[in-house]
Amino acid sequence: MKRSILPDKSGYFGEFGGRFIPETLFNPLKELEEAYNLLKNDIEFNRQLNSYLKDYAARPTPLYFAPNMSRYLNIKVYLKREDILHTGAHKINNALGQALLAKHMGKKRIIAETGAGQHGVATATVSALLGFKCDIYMGETDIERQKMNVFRMQILGARVIPVKSGSKTLKDACSEAIRDWVTNVKDTYYLLGSVVGPHPYPMIVRDFQAVIGREAKKQILKKEGRLPDYLLACVGGGSNAIGLFHPFFYDREVKFIGVEAGGLGKKDNHAASLSKGDIGVLHGTKSFLLQDKFGQIKLAHSVAPGLDYPGVGPEHAYYKKIKRANYVTVTDREAIEGFKLLSKLEGIIPALEPAHAVYYLKRLAKRAANSLVILCLSGRGDKDLDIVREWGK
Amino acid sequence: MGKIEEKFHDLRIKGKKAFIVYVPFGFPNISLSRDIILTLQESGVDLVELGLPFSDPLADGSILQEANQIALQAKATTDKLFPFLQELKEDITVPLILMSYYNPLYRWGLKNFLRRVKYLGIDGVMVVDLPLEESSDYISIARNLDLDTIFFITPTTSLARKKKIMECSRGFVYYISVTGTTGPKNLSLQSIRREISSLRKINQLAICVGFGIHSVSQAREIREISDGIILGSVIVEFIKENFKNRDFLKSLNFLVRRFCV
Repeated sequence: MKRSILPDKSGYFGEFGGRFIPETLFNPLKELEEAYNLLKNDIEFNRQLNSYLKDYAARPTPLYFAPNMSRYLNIKVYLKREDILHTGAHKINNALGQALLAKHMGKKRIIAETGAGQHGVATATVSALLGFKCDIYMGETDIERQKMNVFRMQILGARVIPVKSGSKTLKDACSEAIRDWVTNVKDTYYLLGSVVGPHPYPMIVRDFQAVIGREAKKQILKKEGRLPDYLLACVGGGSNAIGLFHPFFYDREVKFIGVEAGGLGKKDNHAASLSKGDIGVLHGTKSFLLQDKFGQIKLAHSVAPGLDYPGVGPEHAYYKKIKRANYVTVTDREAIEGFKLLSKLEGIIPALEPAHAVYYLKRLAKRAANSLVILCLSGRGDKDLDIVREWGK
Repeated sequence: MGKIEEKFHDLRIKGKKAFIVYVPFGFPNISLSRDIILTLQESGVDLVELGLPFSDPLADGSILQEANQIALQAKATTDKLFPFLQELKEDITVPLILMSYYNPLYRWGLKNFLRRVKYLGIDGVMVVDLPLEESSDYISIARNLDLDTIFFITPTTSLARKKKIMECSRGFVYYISVTGTTGPKNLSLQSIRREISSLRKINQLAICVGFGIHSVSQAREIREISDGIILGSVIVEFIKENFKNRDFLKSLNFLVRRFCV
């Protein structure tokens, strides 16, 4: 299939991606790539994964026509309900896939980084299910603002390791997880949560998340008899967005819109790597980054912890470069408005991350009234109730 | 013969081993950084490895992470490195190696950066997160400038890669003694010895061992089985704890001499 051409053999999506890692990790990444390439078309592996996705995680998720939102905005909106999944977000798709891969590779211990805690919870969940020892790195700032998820991980038997360096958020949790992996690479599997990091991670995570787009395509054809005009998803590292976009890559009539965190809406204090960043190398991959003119990484800011990352997946950088996708920003304030809007109109409380995409519907409806849109509702908002309650106080 | 190669040649003739110390540029601040480097030279260090600070040093343990942050707070960025090297050039006689993560170099423009540091007296470069597979531009630029490229070999490096890395390294090759980050570790002398003798079969390149070395006795043992050792965290930690003391440079000199003997 044409689709599997990217990334190329060296892990590049055009000029983006690659493997910028200390020498210690070179062979482990090579082993991971080989193990994955062997397993991805293995019938038994896929049967196992699909069975867990169906009976454990609750796939396929519905493609829900949002009638009130559609009427209110004068645009036809379908929500891809990843929020309904077990553990409350799309992260479980990838966690299940990679944990099964780890099992096949004979690893005993799983580590992961987490921002909002959703990937941490998903990883702790699959570790409990498949019998791995599990350590989750989480920035101190995030531990403070996502207390419920920390507790969930602990209940599931994982150890949550607070990260005190740098910005104390996702970026530093990711660095710490990599350092742990460098040290314990023999028996430890690093379960990376987004389409970032060195090759083969952006490819592996995308492949496990592409189930979102594959299902959505079938569902929309069944319900509407045609492909949508727009796909809409929030982008931090970008895994839910790539998961939705990727299977539509060759459907040129379908436009992709990735919504980044505009934060406070100023020059700094945002997490819009694609819209406002420059090309650079962080955590093993070449992509767009928030950095100063000397190549030092800047701190990201978003009200949504899951978007609070100064980099973005290389495949998104490529989509931007070739103009396959358009990337826009939505501020903290607007995201909160989106959060409340969807809750009141449809009775669905979204996570603050996809609430960015929800808000963007308002702008899209103004220039593209009556068009057909699929929005990836990547997670549910229970984890964010404290943040929203404290908002503006 | 480059300055680094010449150094190893001289040491070999004298039957000595290289003693290399890593310090981050601008740690604990820019002016003291200069004094520290000159003190290292004075106390018998054979080569100095100067680190360009980076906000996200992936391969470093907590001591060097903190040192990088302190240096960045002291505004030790790329633009300050050039005048610093310019000034240092007059007083430094030992070979100087620049160690960096890739992003600051990429951001400045690799070619421009390498040309400039070469002109300012840097003899060799090591880029921690630039494995061989991503290094073709880097190698060709460095070769044109006659700048030594120092690559890393670790316990996880396969034999086929070891050969390639030894062939692409100039000056010396950096053997990382542990599977892990920088900072004090217990080291297995036996496995280091085994690795080094396998590398010796590949070519004549000098092999220096770094990461984890923190005691005088470890340093002595590893120096015996290699062509030299690289100390980082133990010196940086000492600087952090003592730089405010009046006799700081004297005590640094004393510490380094203990490792030199």
